[in-house]
Amino acid sequence: MKKHKYLSIGFAAAILLAAPSCKKELDVKNPNSPTIEQAKDEPGIISLSTAAVYINGFNGNNPSIIANQNWLGDSYFSLGIGFHELLGDNISAEASNQNINVVNLPDYVILDNGSKITNTSPSKSVIRISNARDKKPANMFFYEWAYMYSLNNACNQVLSLVDNIKFTGDAETKKNTIKAWAYWWKGFAYSKIGSVYYAGIIDNTVGIGNTSALVSTYVTSAAMITEANKNFDQASALLSGIKSASDYSTVLGKLLPGFVQTGKGGVLTTDMWIRNINTMKARNLLVNKRLTAMTATDWNAVLTLINAGIKSDDFVFTGRTTATNGFFSASGGSVAAMTTGLPKSTTFKVSERLIQEYKTGDKRLSTNFSTNQYINQVGGFTFSTRWQLLDANGVDKGGVAVLSDKTPGNYELYIGGSYEENELMKAEALINTGSIATGVSAINNVRTYQGAGLTTLSAALSLSDAKEELRRERRVALVFRGLAFYDARRWGVIDDISKGGGRTNAVVLGSDGVLNTHATINYDFLDYWDVPADEYVINPPAAGSAPIKNPN
Amino acid sequence: MALFCQFAYAQNRTVTGTVTSKDDGLPVPGVSVIIKGTRIGTQTSGNGKFSISVPTKGATLVFTFIGFAKTEVPIGSGDVMNVALANDYKQLNEVVVTGSGVATSKARLGIAVESISGKNLPPSPQASIEQALVGKIAGAQISSVDGTPGARTNIVLRGINTIQGGTSPMILIDGVEARSTDISLIDQSTVDHIEVVQGAAASTIYGAQGANGVIQVFTKKGALGKVKIDLSSSVAAGSYINNGDVHQAKLSSFKTDANGNFIDGSGNIIKLDEDGTFPGITWAFPSGNGNPTAMSNPLNTAHQQYGTNLKYYDHLKQLFRTAYTRNNSVAISGGSEKSDYALTVSNNHQESNIVRNGYNDRTNLTANIGTELFKGFTIRSTTQLIYTKNTLNPSFGTGGNAIFNALNASPFYDFNQKLPDGNYPYSLNSGTVSVNGNNPFYNLQYANKKDNRMDIIENIQADYKINKFIELSAKYGINNTHQDINYIYQNQSGNANSNDTESWVSLNNNADNTGEVDKQSNNTTFQNFNGSATIRTDFEKDFHLNVPITTSTLLQYDYRKNHLNQYFSYGYSLPSYPIYNFQQTQTQQVLQDYTEPFVTYGYVVNQKIDIGEYGGIGGGFRSDYSSAFGQGSKPFTFPNANAYLRPSSFDFWRNSSLGNRVPEFKLRAAYGKAGIQPGAFDRYPTLDPKNVGSALTFALLNAQKNPNLDVEVSREFEAGTDIGIKGFDGSWLSDINLSVTYWNRKGSNIIYDVSVAPSTGPLTLKTNAIDMSSNGIQASLNINVLKAKDFNWNVTTNFSHQTSKIDKINGPPIILTSAAGSTQEVLIAGAKIGQIYGYKALTSLDQKNQEGVAYIQPADYNQYEIVEGRVVNKATKGVQFTNEVYALGDPNPKFNMSFINNFNYKQLSFSFQFDWVHGSHLYNQTKEWMYRDGISSDYDKPVTIDGQTAAYTAYYRSVYADYFGARNGPARNGTKDYFYEDASFVRLRNLSVGYDFTSLIASKVFRRVVLTFAARNILTFTKYTGFDPEISSGTSNSSFDRGIDHNSTPNNKSYQLGLSLGF
Repeated sequence: MKKHKYLSIGFAAAILLAAPSCKKELDVKNPNSPTIEQAKDEPGIISLSTAAVYINGFNGNNPSIIANQNWLGDSYFSLGIGFHELLGDNISAEASNQNINVVNLPDYVILDNGSKITNTSPSKSVIRISNARDKKPANMFFYEWAYMYSLNNACNQVLSLVDNIKFTGDAETKKNTIKAWAYWWKGFAYSKIGSVYYAGIIDNTVGIGNTSALVSTYVTSAAMITEANKNFDQASALLSGIKSASDYSTVLGKLLPGFVQTGKGGVLTTDMWIRNINTMKARNLLVNKRLTAMTATDWNAVLTLINAGIKSDDFVFTGRTTATNGFFSASGGSVAAMTTGLPKSTTFKVSERLIQEYKTGDKRLSTNFSTNQYINQVGGFTFSTRWQLLDANGVDKGGVAVLSDKTPGNYELYIGGSYEENELMKAEALINTGSIATGVSAINNVRTYQGAGLTTLSAALSLSDAKEELRRERRVALVFRGLAFYDARRWGVIDDISKGGGRTNAVVLGSDGVLNTHATINYDFLDYWDVPADEYVINPPAAGSAPIKNPN
Repeated sequence: MALFCQFAYAQNRTVTGTVTSKDDGLPVPGVSVIIKGTRIGTQTSGNGKFSISVPTKGATLVFTFIGFAKTEVPIGSGDVMNVALANDYKQLNEVVVTGSGVATSKARLGIAVESISGKNLPPSPQASIEQALVGKIAGAQISSVDGTPGARTNIVLRGINTIQGGTSPMILIDGVEARSTDISLIDQSTVDHIEVVQGAAASTIYGAQGANGVIQVFTKKGALGKVKIDLSSSVAAGSYINNGDVHQAKLSSFKTDANGNFIDGSGNIIKLDEDGTFPGITWAFPSGNGNPTAMSNPLNTAHQQYGTNLKYYDHLKQLFRTAYTRNNSVAISGGSEKSDYALTVSNNHQESNIVRNGYNDRTNLTANIGTELFKGFTIRSTTQLIYTKNTLNPSFGTGGNAIFNALNASPFYDFNQKLPDGNYPYSLNSGTVSVNGNNPFYNLQYANKKDNRMDIIENIQADYKINKFIELSAKYGINNTHQDINYIYQNQSGNANSNDTESWVSLNNNADNTGEVDKQSNNTTFQNFNGSATIRTDFEKDFHLNVPITTSTLLQYDYRKNHLNQYFSYGYSLPSYPIYNFQQTQTQQVLQDYTEPFVTYGYVVNQKIDIGEYGGIGGGFRSDYSSAFGQGSKPFTFPNANAYLRPSSFDFWRNSSLGNRVPEFKLRAAYGKAGIQPGAFDRYPTLDPKNVGSALTFALLNAQKNPNLDVEVSREFEAGTDIGIKGFDGSWLSDINLSVTYWNRKGSNIIYDVSVAPSTGPLTLKTNAIDMSSNGIQASLNINVLKAKDFNWNVTTNFSHQTSKIDKINGPPIILTSAAGSTQEVLIAGAKIGQIYGYKALTSLDQKNQEGVAYIQPADYNQYEIVEGRVVNKATKGVQFTNEVYALGDPNPKFNMSFINNFNYKQLSFSFQFDWVHGSHLYNQTKEWMYRDGISSDYDKPVTIDGQTAAYTAYYRSVYADYFGARNGPARNGTKDYFYEDASFVRLRNLSVGYDFTSLIASKVFRRVVLTFAARNILTFTKYTGFDPEISSGTSNSSFDRGIDHNSTPNNKSYQLGLSLGF
C-alpha cells in the first residue's frame, strides 16, 4: 500500500509541477533575429538604413522579391535595369525567362534587300498579356515596381523611427544625415517609378502588409516625379543644414558599405551629395519629356540643375561587387556581368545597334568588345550578333572606361547620376539652346574622361552633327546605366514609324548570317508601363485615381 | 494490452500450454486465454506459454489475440494444451490503443483504427515501414514518389487539412511521439505491429500535431524462454521503371550536306570543339517569314538520321545501371517470467541506379527491454539507434538534376567523351540546341557529398497498476537527430569547358569555378513526456449494480518540446591539390545559425462508457498551450466524442437467421476537432539580419509574419460500420469481413502567405487565409476465399476515396510554383487543392476567352483545323493555346485500391498485391523541357496538317513556346494542358513466394529456415507517357505540390531473394 501511495503521489506531483514551469518556457519569441526594437538605437537605425537600400531596395538574394521567379541574375541591377537596356536596344536575349526575348522585339525590320520580317507577337501586346498575377515571372511591369516600393517602404520605416532615437555626438546632424539618406532614396525610388510607370502611388507610411496601410489613390507619373523631387529637396535642405561635418561623415561612412567606398564611390561631402541630387533632378526633367516637347524654359531649368550637378571628381552613389556579403553578385548581379562572356552562354547578347554607335577608333569599343559571331535561331530575329563583351578581369586598360569586370570588387556600378551623365545633359541643353561649341566641348570632356582616344570634336559642328554626336555619345558613354530606354523614348525611337519613330541604317545580323547595315527597325514600344496586376488586383484604384493603364 | 481481472476463487486443476502461430509456428506472446462464459483468464507469456486453473470438466478455453482468429478449444482431460492460432482477417477482436489512449478491443470503438501485424508487411528492398504499408491501410494514400535511395514516401491520411504543415502524419513509437526521425528510417524488421488512426476524431487526443492522423509503431518484444536468434538476409536487383518509353528523338531537322553530314550555316561540317561541344548546329531552315524561331519554321521536319558526324547516344543507358540493395538483420530475443528483451540489428544498403553514384546505407539497432520490478509495476525501455550514411552525389540525390541533364543534353553528345585535358565537359550547350544540357558525369567528377545522420529514439515507460481501478503510466521519450552533411565541390578551373562556358557545379559559390566545401549541421532534439491515469470501473463487479456498464477514464498530461538547430557554413575556393577542407579555402562564412525552440503542453480528459457488448459512448477534450503564442496566451481546447452500437449483440439479432449469416454488425460515429498550431515563429515579426560587407544590417522581410495569427481548426465527423458475414459452410468463402467509414472534414483559419500590394513594401503576409473541406470513404473487405486442410486463400481489398477543396480564401488566389520548378499551381476558392494552373489548347474554332471574346474570327476559320483534338494553324503548324490560365484539374486520385492475395499450401506461401490508383494526374514537366530544343521523342512522330503529313518541328515547338497572341514569348515553358496527363495506374506492387524448409531440414541447429523470392513494381499498366506514374517531384508531403513530374528518379522494379534463419 505504501509503495503505491508514494508512487501515485509522485506521478501526480510531477504532472502538477510541470504545468506552471512550462508557462515560462512558452515565451520563446524568435531567438534568431532582431526585431524592430533593435533598430531603435544609433547602431540599429544605421543597420536598418543600410539594409533598406542595399537589401530591400536592390538585393536579389533572399529575402528577395524575385524568389521563385526564375529570375536570371540576382539584383535590381540585373533585370530591373536589364529591361531598360533591352528596350534601349543595347542588349538582346534568347532565353525566355522574364520575357526578355520578346519585350524588346521590334514590330518589324526591313532588311537591306527590302524583305520585311514582321513580329507576330508585338511587344506592346506581349507585355500586356503578361500583366497578370499568374504570369508574374514574365511580367516586366512587376519587378521595378516591387523593388522600388520595397526600397520606399524601408525608407519610410527608417523615417518613422529616426526622430525618437538617441544619438551620441551632434544628434541633430546624425539624425538629419539618416533622414537625408532616406529622403534621397525615396526620391530615387519615386523617380524610377515616375520615369517608367504610367501611374504610381505616393506612400509615405510604413506598410506592414495589411490593407489598412494601403494607399489606393494612384497618381500620374508626372505627380510621381514631383514627389520624387520633393523628397530630393528635403534631402538637399537637410544636407545644407548639416552642422558637424565629422558626425555627418561618420554616419554616412557607415550607411555606405565599406566596399563601395572606393573609386567613384566614397563618403560624399554634403555639397557633393547635393550636386548628385541636382543631377538626378535634371534627369527627372530631361528623361520624362519628349525631346520635341522640350522648351527653352525646360532646357534652362536643366542647365541650372546640371551647372550645380556632379563634378568630375565628385563621389557618386556606386555599387561594387564582392566575393561574399555583397548586394549584387560579380557573375550575375548586373547587366554588364550578364552580357559578359561567350554569346552562346550569356543571358544577354550585345546588340549590333549599340556597337554601331561607337565611332571608328573609339578605344572603348576595342577595349570592351571583341568579335564572336553568334547566330540566334531560338530567340528573336534581331538578336544575332558578331560581338561579345569582354571581362576586364582586373587588367588596367590604360584609362579606358571598363564596361565589365567579373572579378569581385572590380566592377563599378552607377546607381544614381554620374559626371558623364551630368556633362552630357549639359551638352544636350547647350546644343539645343544654341551653344553648340560649349555643348560639343562637354561631349569632348566625357570622351576624354572615359579614355575614348577619339579626336576632339570640332567646336564648329553643325547643329544636326552635334546632336548626332551627342546621341551616339550618350548611348556609348552611359551604356548599362539604366538610361537607354529613357533616351530611346524621349528621342522617339521607340515610337511607331508611322508616328515618326523607328530607326534607319541599323545594323542587323540576320538569322541566316547575312549582315545588313541599312536596315529599318520599327520598335513600337510602350512609352510608359501599366501598373502591374500584382498591385492593382490587390489594391484597386480608389475614386479619383489617375488612370493606371497607358492608353497608348 | 487488454486488462484481465483475475479472480481467486477455487479452481480444480491447472492446464498449461503454448500458443503458437499456425503461419510460422512461432510462439505468440500476449494471447488472452479465457475460460468461456467467465471472466477468468490469463495471458500468454513472452514465449507463448500460459497456465490457468480450470474446472474439472466441461470448460472451453477461448484464445484471442490481435491478428489471429478467435479460437475456442474444449479442455480435454490432459493438463497440457498446445494451440496453434490461425491468422485472422476479421480484425474486430484486436485490441488497439491508438486513438483512444486506453487499450480497447476494436469491437468497442466508436472510431476507425487500422492495424497491421509486422508479419503481414511485404518485403521491400527499402525495408522501410512506409514502403511496406503502401496499399495496406484502407483509406491511406501512401505513394512511393521518388526512386532515389533514402527518399521518402508521400502519405495522406484523410484529405488535406493544412497547407504549410503538409500532410505528414504524426509518428508514435511505442506510445511516444518521434518527431525528428522520419518513419522511412524505421526498419521493417523491428516492427511487431502498426496502428493507424486517420482522422481528427481519433487523433485529437494527440494534440495539434495529430491532426494529419497518427501512425503508431510497436516494436517487437522478447518472448519467454531460451535465447532465440533470427538471421535474415536478402539481396535485390532493381532497374528504373520507364513505362512511357521515355527517350530522345532519333531524327533531327538540322542542316546537312549531300553526304548526310551535319553542317553549320556556312557549310562547314560540325565537329567537336575544345570545349567538348558541337558549335554551329543549324536548323535546315532559319527563322524569318513570320516564324520567330527556326524551330517554328514549318519547313523544318524531323527526318535526318544521326550516325554520320553526329551520332546518337542513348543517354538513359549511359546514365543508369542495375542497382543492388542488401538487407541483413540479426535479432536476439528472449525473456523470463518477469523480464523480456529483444535486440535487433539490421542494415539496409541501397545503391543508386545511376552509374558511379553513391549509396544510402542505414543501420538500425533496436532494443526493447521490459521488466516487472514488483507486482503491478513494470518498466520498459525501447531504444532505436539509427545511423544513416548517404553518399549520393549532391546533384543526383533526391531532387537532383541528373535525369534532367541526361534528357536535355542533345542525343549526339557522348557522356563518356572527355576533354583533351582529361576532364568531362559540363555545359553541352550548342547555342541553338542542347541549351540546358550538361554532362552529368561532370558532377560525378567534381562534386561529392557525405551525409551522416544519427537518430536516437529512446522511450522509457513506467506503468503501475495500483489496483483494478487505477493504472498510472508515465512515458518519457527523447528523439534526437544529428545530421552532418559535407559537400565538396572541387576546383574546376582546370576544366576548359567550365572556363569557356562559365558554367560549373556549386552549392553556394556561384561566383566562380574555384569550388567550395560546405558543412550543414542539423540537430533536432524532441522530448515528449506523457503522464496518465486510467481509471476503470465495472458497475456489476465493482459496485454490484445490475447494469452491464464498464467505464474507463483517461486523464493525461502531455508535454512536448522540440529544439532545432541548424548551422551551415561554407568555404570558397579550393586549391587544385586534393585536400578538401575548410583550411584550404580562401574565404569562409557562416550561412545559417538558426535555432528553433517549440514547446507545447496540454491536458487530455477522455471518458468512455460501454454498456455490455451492446454499445458505448466516449468523449473528452484536449487543452493545449503553445509557445507559438507565447507566454500568457490562453490555451485552445478541442473536444471529441464518439459512439458505437452493435445490433448483432442483441438477442433479436443473435437468435435470428440474420445473426447466423451476419454474426457481427456494428455501427459507429465520431466527431472531433483539432487545432493545428502556427509555425514556431509565424507570430513573431522580425528583421532579417544580413551582412553587407563587414556591416551587419537589418533588412525588412518581404514575407511578413503576423502577430495576430490564430490556430487552424479542423473539424471532422466520421461514421462507419464493421460487418462480419458468415459465408458458405464449406471450405469456400467461409468468412467475409467488411469495414466502411465515411468521413467529412472542414478546416478553417488555415494559415498561408497571401499576397499583399507591393506598394506597401512586403509581398506576402501570413494570415489565417483559407477555409477548406474534404471528405472521403475508406473501406476494407476481407474474404477467406478457400480454407482447406493444406490450402488457404485469402483476399483483402482496400479502398480509399478522398477529395479536398478550398472553400474560401481571404484574399486573391494564391499562385505558386512547384518546388520542382517551372509548373504553376494555384490555390483558388471553390477549386480542389493542388490544381495545376495553365493554358489550354483550343479545341474548337469558336472558342472564347473568359471575357467572352472569341480567339479566332469567323473570317479566319479557314486558316485553322483540328489536329489530334486541338486547333492548329495550317500555315504555322502551331497548336493554338489560350493566353489566359485555367485550373487544369485536380491531380489527386479519385480513388485508390489495393488487392492483396495470400495463398498458403503446406510449406509454400504465395502472395501478391496489385495497387490501383485511379484518376490521378501528373504534369509531365520532364517532357515539356524536352520539347524546348526538339529533344523529345515526340518530335519523331509525324502529324497531318492541311493534308500534309510530316514531323513538323513547328507543331511540337508551338506546344512549348506559344499561346494565342504571343509566339516564342511568355508561353515558353508555360504550363499547358498538353502536358497534363492521366497518371492512373495499376501496379503489381508485390509478389512473393516463400518456402519454409524447416520441416525438411532435419537439423537441431535451425529452428526455422525460410527462403523468399519477392518482386516489387515489376508490372505497371498506365497510359502515362513519362517514366513512372507514381512520381511526384514537389516538396515531400506537400499539401498542394503533388501532381508534377519534373525529372525525379523513377521507382525501381526489383527482384529480391531472401533467406531467413532461426536458431
